Amino acid sequence: MKKKITYEYSSSGVKQSILRNAKSIGLPEGWAKQIATRVAKDTDEWIADKEIVTESDLRRQIIKELKELSPDLAYAYQNHDKII
Amino acid sequence: MSDITCIATIILAGITQASLQLGLGGLILLYHNSLGKHRRKKTRYLAKNYILGSAAITFLMVCTFCFLIGNFFNGALTAEWLVVCIGIFAACGSIMWLLYYRKGKKSTELWLPKAFTRFIQKKARETNDNIEAFSLGLLSSFAEMPFSLAIYFVVANCVLNMSSYLQIITAVSYAVLTVIPLVILKIHVKTGRNAVEAQKWRVKNKAFSKAFSGSAFMILAAFVLAYWVM
Repeated sequence: MKKKITYEYSSSGVKQSILRNAKSIGLPEGWAKQIATRVAKDTDEWIADKEIVTESDLRRQIIKELKELSPDLAYAYQNHDKII
Repeated sequence: MSDITCIATIILAGITQASLQLGLGGLILLYHNSLGKHRRKKTRYLAKNYILGSAAITFLMVCTFCFLIGNFFNGALTAEWLVVCIGIFAACGSIMWLLYYRKGKKSTELWLPKAFTRFIQKKARETNDNIEAFSLGLLSSFAEMPFSLAIYFVVANCVLNMSSYLQIITAVSYAVLTVIPLVILKIHVKTGRNAVEAQKWRVKNKAFSKAFSGSAFMILAAFVLAYWVM
């Protein structure tokens, strides 16, 4: 049976991963920081009433938020592990 | 065999190998990860070293196969061995058309073992200096061996058939030819575009690249059959 691994949710982790992806697509720094802060805040609210979520659920939620703010960034975030 | 036939075979084989997608995918991955944490200048150096690594392993593989053919096949492949290569080309062409990409996904994921894909992704994420980028380029090209093995055999056979003063030049030219898509991507990113745009292009034209690679293998098979066997 596959071993299940659980992690503590980290708002700053979400922020950092969005900032990394934003930098890789050349988004201006200020705009990237605004997006990262807003998405991290919305994700914090979304996760607040949940005891446990899967990594895929969390990713889906972040992508949903990103799609409204920057479709390119959402694409980069969604597909960076689907290149090869 | 005339030098012209050898050069034509090498060009065709180069185009076929250049159409393989793992090396390009690895470079996009490297760009994506590196641009997210380094300055553009550093990323440019990493990409340059990745391409050099890819070209170096191709050149070394051609030289290795020249050595093998020189020592174990008396300097030239027999018609029987060429027919085996043709069979492998036809099989690779069919695999390209039918199985190369994972079906039903809006991505360019290839049919590779998951552990191997994760290994390349991890390496691309952790690549911070030029030597690592060089070895990632080596690794990505080396991983295409199931498809490029027969190509190397045919190319090495052509190189050995050429005039001695042309042998090194054609081996180097072949290595350069196989990294042209990587160089195009590098120019694409250098002119201000990003890796995501290149990836979007790859996803949009997945069917085209699949058909191109498959057809290139089939044409190479037909060419070798017509000019080297018959």
